[in-house]
Order: sequence, then C-alpha cells, then structure tokens
Amino acid sequence: MYKECEKVIDYFNGHLTEQEAQAFEAHLETCEDCQEELRELRELTEHLPLASEPVEPPAEMKQNVLDAAFTAGETTDEEPEANEDKSSSSVDRYKEKQAEKRKLDKPAWLMPVLAAGLIFSLMGNMYAVFQTTQSDEDEAPPVESTDEVLQRVQLQGEGTNANATAAMINQGTEDMLVVQAGSLDPLQGDEVYQVWLINDDQPYRAGSFKSNQQGEGAVAYSMAQLQSEGDWDAIAISKEPNANSETPQGEVMMSSEL
Amino acid sequence: MSRTDKELYALIADGDKGTLEEIYDKYEKLLYSFAIKLSGDATLAEEVLQEVFIKIWTHKAVYQEKKGKFSSWIVTVTRYTCIDLIRKRKDENVSLEEETDIPEEQDPSTEDLAEWREQGQLIRQAIRNLAEEQTIMVDLFYFKGLTQREIAEECNLPLGTVKGRIRLALKHLNSELSNIQEKGGVHDV
Ligand SMILES: [Zn+2]
Repeated sequence: MYKECEKVIDYFNGHLTEQEAQAFEAHLETCEDCQEELRELRELTEHLPLASEPVEPPAEMKQNVLDAAFTAGETTDEEPEANEDKSSSSVDRYKEKQAEKRKLDKPAWLMPVLAAGLIFSLMGNMYAVFQTTQSDEDEAPPVESTDEVLQRVQLQGEGTNANATAAMINQGTEDMLVVQAGSLDPLQGDEVYQVWLINDDQPYRAGSFKSNQQGEGAVAYSMAQLQSEGDWDAIAISKEPNANSETPQGEVMMSSEL
Repeated sequence: MSRTDKELYALIADGDKGTLEEIYDKYEKLLYSFAIKLSGDATLAEEVLQEVFIKIWTHKAVYQEKKGKFSSWIVTVTRYTCIDLIRKRKDENVSLEEETDIPEEQDPSTEDLAEWREQGQLIRQAIRNLAEEQTIMVDLFYFKGLTQREIAEECNLPLGTVKGRIRLALKHLNSELSNIQEKGGVHDV
C-alpha cells in the first residue's frame, strides 16, 4: 500500500491542495485499488443529496445568483463574442424550440417536468445501487453506471388521489421500466397493483407491486422480460385480484399515453 | 425529451446566458436544499449557489463527460463549495451556531417534489437505522465533509482505520436502503 492510497478520503472531500491533488491523480492512474475505492465512494453517496428536505428558495435569489455570475464573467477574461457568433444559429434554433414548447405546455408545467428529470437521474442511480447491493455485495466492481432516462410520464386517473410516475431507464444494455406510485388505496388479500404496457389495444404485463402502509409502491421491470417490443401506445395501472391476471380484470386506475 | 444537460452545458461554455438560466432553474431547489442540509444555514446556502454559478459561468469549474453525469457533477461542485465556505467562516470566527432562520418548507406542490420527499424519507430512515457510530460516520464524512484526520479525532479512531469505517458505514447504508425499499413494497411478482 502506498502512502498516496491514504489520501482517497481527503481527495474525495476536496481537502488536498492543488499540488497534492495532482500527485494523487497521477497515482490514481496506476493504482486500481484507489480507482475502485473512489468509484465506490461516488456510487454509494450519489443519491445522498436527495436526503435534503426540499426547501423553497427565496424569490430574489435567482436574480442575485445570475447577476453575480454574469458580472464575474465580465471581469474575468474576454467576452466570448466570436463564439457567440459561431454558435448563434444552433442557439437560436434551440431557443425557438424551447419557445414552441412553452406555448404547448403551460410554463408552470415545464419546470416540474425538468426537475423531475433531475430527480430521476439521481434515482436511476439509486436503483442501480439497489441492484448491485442485492446481487453481489462484495464481488467484482459494479459496472460504471450509464443510466439514462429515455422517457418519463406521469400517470393520471379519474376518481382517485393516487398518482404515479413511470420512467424508462436505460442501464447499459438493458431497458428498465420504473414505476413509482403514491396515495394508493390499501389492497386486500392477494390483490396487487399491476402495470400494463399497451400496444394496439393489447395489454402486456409489465410488473406488479403492493402498496405499503403509507400507500406507496414501486416496481422496476426489466423490458427484456416482455414478449413484445416496440411502439407502446400507453401505460396503465390497474388493481387486480391477484398477480396472475393476463389481461386487466380490475378497473384501470391510472394511465398515460406514451 | 428536452435537451440533455450535456448539450446545455456546451451552450453555457459558448457563453449563452439563457442556458445558464435554464440550468439554474432546473437545479436551484435541489442545490439550495442540499446546501442547507450541509450547512444548516440558509444565508450561507445562497452564497454557495452564487459561488457555484460563478464557477460554472467563468469556467473555474469545468464539466467533462468523463467526470460522469452532469447532475452528479453539479451536486459535487456544490458540496465542495459549501464545505469550503463553512471552513472559511470558521476561520473568520463566525460562530456556526448562529444559524439564520431556515425558510419554511413548502408543501409538495408537484409530484416530483413528492417523489423527492419520498426518496428523502427512505434515505433518512436508512441512515437512522444504522448503528449510531455509522450514522455519525456518514454525517461527518459526507454531510460535514471533514478531513480524515478530523474524523479520526472526532471519533477517537486511529487515522488508518477511518477509510475502512467510512466504507463499511456507506455499504450498510445502501443495504439498509434496499431492505426498506423491499419492505416498502417493491415487489415484482
Ligand atoms: Zn492507491
């Protein structure tokens, strides 16, 4: 064990001086133990920011922060005028697209959707962590996480307070459908909540779950298990008498188009 | 799908102010809440955000794809910045006990917020389920961001054992999380 190997913790927490950090990074290139430890620390802590209670930022903070950033930008080096010209066409196109989007959706709607994507990108890691901790606690290093949220929708239903979100997450070679639901009615006996993917009016089973006492439930379903692949029209959740329904027997509580 | 963070970041690097604003809107609440969690100080949290966005805009902090996901990166920059500011404050002898009022939490108005809250409860529960010394270890290492030496002193441990204890605590935390998640009804029939 090298002396450098003892610096992983302080490197991770940003306590090394610039020179120390450079020396450690040089060591890191050749030391697999340190690479592995660092990767593990990152993976094991990646979802911890979600432990923060959501706090509403003060209204004036945004202007203060952005003003400070832009002012600092003016006083440091040159304004990237040339770059602006170079990229203006793609930027403009992008802005147009955004403007169109805002016209379609209520602006108030847009932010939660963006934020939700963020939460899911952190949660995607959480699921990856669950999967690795369940299967191989002390085995080979888990594959570097490459989760990507491919699509995400919110499911809605009439006459129910229940809510659910579904996200398609790509984990390397595998697509996972992750459904999270809250405010669910309690289940009785063998009843389950069944997730369906619908293609040309044909429902396909895509995971089932039970709700807990808080009315929450979730399931991660590997898309490789589905008999059909392709263009899904919709996703739905129904309450089923048991986990064996091949087609929805119970009422569809929530659904969303895809 | 909207533009990826990667694409947005490329536009920021080109000096597009609107994109910085977009990134700001997207991450404001998480970063602000996280900085409050780390520092317990709402005024400091605001300074942290200012620092973070100055760093991004002036390229003092540069994101590269090989560093992993943008969301993880910006959270990490926030954590460093916050740990740093807390230390500077300590050096200036400003008592950290004099915490400013933390704003009232808002009821979850959107589903994503409810989700974040759900996940947060799970994680906090998992942290509480740990043995006390492991809870402390997670707190001192991750949320307080102390140095290895400071943790050793705080916990009366030989310096060389700190790393192992941190690893163990984090591993337990993650298996605790999967336990809770299973009990909470994750259940693929
Ligand atoms: Zn090493």
